[in-house]
Amino acid sequence: MTPREQRIFGFAVFAAFAVIVLVLPQFISDFRARDYAYVGIYLIALLGLNILTGYTGQISLGHGAFMAIGGYTTAILMAGNEQFGGPIPSGMQDIWTLPIAGLVAGLFGLAFGLPALRLSGLYLALATFAIAVAMPSTVKRFEEHTGGGQGIQLFGLPELTGSNAVAPADPNAPATFEVLGLTFTQNDWMYYLAWSIALAAFAGAWLILRGRTGRAFRAVRDSETAAVSSGVSLARYKTLAFGISAAYAGVAGGLFAIASAFVNPDTFPIALSIFLLVGIVVGGLGGLSGLVVGAIFVAFLPLWAQGQDLGSVLPDSVIQGDTVSIPILGDFLFKGTSAPGGPAIVYGIVLILLMFVLPNGVGGLFRRVGQAITNRRYSRSK
Amino acid sequence: MIRRRSAAVAAFGAALAFVLPAAFAGSTADPGISATAVVIGGTSPLTGPAASYASVARGANAYFQFVNSRGGVNKRRIEYRIVDDAYNPAQTVQAVRRLVEQDRVFAVFNTLGTESNLAIRDYLNQVKVPQLFVASGATTWGRDAAKYPWTIGFQPSYAAEGLVYGQYIARARKQAKVAVLFQNDDYGKDLLASLKLGLGRSGSKVVAAEAYQVTSSDVGSQVAKLKASGANVFCIFATPTFAIQAYVFANRLGWKPLVVNNAVSGTSNIMVLASEGGKNRLVEGTVTTTVLKDPTDPRWKKDAGMKQYRALLAKYAKGANPDDVYHVYGMAVGYETVSLFRRLGATPTRTALMARARSISSAKNPFLLPGVSVKTGKGDNFPIQQGQLQRWTKGRFVAVGGLWTSKRN
Repeated sequence: MTPREQRIFGFAVFAAFAVIVLVLPQFISDFRARDYAYVGIYLIALLGLNILTGYTGQISLGHGAFMAIGGYTTAILMAGNEQFGGPIPSGMQDIWTLPIAGLVAGLFGLAFGLPALRLSGLYLALATFAIAVAMPSTVKRFEEHTGGGQGIQLFGLPELTGSNAVAPADPNAPATFEVLGLTFTQNDWMYYLAWSIALAAFAGAWLILRGRTGRAFRAVRDSETAAVSSGVSLARYKTLAFGISAAYAGVAGGLFAIASAFVNPDTFPIALSIFLLVGIVVGGLGGLSGLVVGAIFVAFLPLWAQGQDLGSVLPDSVIQGDTVSIPILGDFLFKGTSAPGGPAIVYGIVLILLMFVLPNGVGGLFRRVGQAITNRRYSRSK
Repeated sequence: MIRRRSAAVAAFGAALAFVLPAAFAGSTADPGISATAVVIGGTSPLTGPAASYASVARGANAYFQFVNSRGGVNKRRIEYRIVDDAYNPAQTVQAVRRLVEQDRVFAVFNTLGTESNLAIRDYLNQVKVPQLFVASGATTWGRDAAKYPWTIGFQPSYAAEGLVYGQYIARARKQAKVAVLFQNDDYGKDLLASLKLGLGRSGSKVVAAEAYQVTSSDVGSQVAKLKASGANVFCIFATPTFAIQAYVFANRLGWKPLVVNNAVSGTSNIMVLASEGGKNRLVEGTVTTTVLKDPTDPRWKKDAGMKQYRALLAKYAKGANPDDVYHVYGMAVGYETVSLFRRLGATPTRTALMARARSISSAKNPFLLPGVSVKTGKGDNFPIQQGQLQRWTKGRFVAVGGLWTSKRN
């Protein structure tokens, strides 16, 4: 394919994907729509993280913290913090908080980008990990602003779109409400909100990365020395990448707060930062389309892994200690009341297998398939 | 003539037979109820800092399985879905939405933790799904029943419990100086406030109070500060992991106060752990309160209820430690739930469930101490309002005085 053909093909795939996103809720249950809303939210965070890590080569193990900043910005603007003794009154409608969440997180990202200039590789990974570790304690420290460990309840607030939903007569049907003349259930609304922002974020990331800025990012990733000698300012592009990336995470965090209708320090645990990194590795570093699969992975695998053991009723064997057979690897003993260890092990094994089969992530698979098609056409035309 | 009439009757009968079931089926079938099962669900900390509470869900589940093996309640099996929330309210929110909207449970049952239940209460009351027998003693479950009609508690409120400790300390020690370690949420604050109320103007007072966060790793610095206050009574209002730490740290610091430990950690299995194999003498003399029969207490060796408890646990929760009192709690709440469902009759609805839950009169729960009744009614939204003070003496609990009863909450 020529670059022009490639671009047309890309547009076509994106348009087809947008159509699928639009009609999907017709084919899934109301609750599933909520699950897929979380996929959209994770996609936004993964796009941001991939700009930083995949394209600019700066590892961040602390993106959950930027999500927390966005999430708390949204929650505080909606619910206010006067109830804890803070200065901010309630009253901002949920969707208007999202740009601010992105902005605030983005500024934190820029600010963090400056000291990060002096760090690279493993040291940067550790420094970013430190913010993820410090975030929950910081939130608790400023209890009068953040509500401390108890968190901020958003459910039922008038600021939450759809909180005025009317329950229908049938107890099995979900409550509905209207926005701009369209009728939504709360779950469908969340789905469309998350995915319209996610698709816009995707297009935005593509625009940033295709031109001069994206080239500079890749130059920094591939060789800092070469980048500097061709006139790319390391300071400028590294901090820019941090800023953009954190802004994406902030918007995702704000949406996460709206979708959960609740935030507390544990809404954004350290594990979230690691899951996000796993998401971009699975999706493929330095690519955008594979991230959709990465987001599905982040949203569903832990749930699926838990379903493998905890099912509908609690099997006492798993809780109390039992031998579980795993093909090829043999028998494992899970023991102790606090160790329904199954889910974590299932998760780990799937991850390892995936890295064996798809070393370049799903994005790498997409590229291989694309190349195969190009090669065939090339050889045929010869 | 006669034949025509009987044909008409037959036709009418046939028509009725078709129409009637349809009319009934269309009327008020709430989610989670089928001809053969009633599905309930709840979260439990199967992992995380409060994982020792997972035994509660296991105990309840064992009791439900026993009832199911006998044909269930009104010919319906009770299906109890337990979801892990790692004692993290953010996870509780998602898990409970999943239970309600995807698994379509009839009621959310015995979800554990004050914060977790606060995080889901607004949601459940909006969608009108019962939040039945909340596994937390926060006073708000009973106090705010008018505002949250779909929520009801179970165990004695922390307000009642704290009051009893205060009154006990005022009686037992003159001019006591009390130091308090408490969890920084409604649960800890309820206990602390009512403890002060119970001390009243007796001359004994709280000289130091230190909070810890659920997510913190240990309570070492808090215990050190409390010791420095010079107190001679140490109140531990903490969940099991932190309570055990409190005993260990206080002992290492050489502090020898009278210890009052709250009911959620004042169980024999926790006391044994805290005693560090007999090395920690601080546990001796610890005062706490309970409503449950202690499985390690020789008094209940031949008790019918506890015999059934051990049999059911061995059969339906293989490998579970029968000395773990939380299993008894689970069975006690399971027992009340089953009798509640029995009283609902053949066509249970969520509305009827809450109405019945607010008019319980049950005096014979085999897993609760004799004399402890489960009772709700007009103006009384606290199911259990009694308890028994007990003292840890040479490796087991000994009752102190008779049952206490709380009038208000």
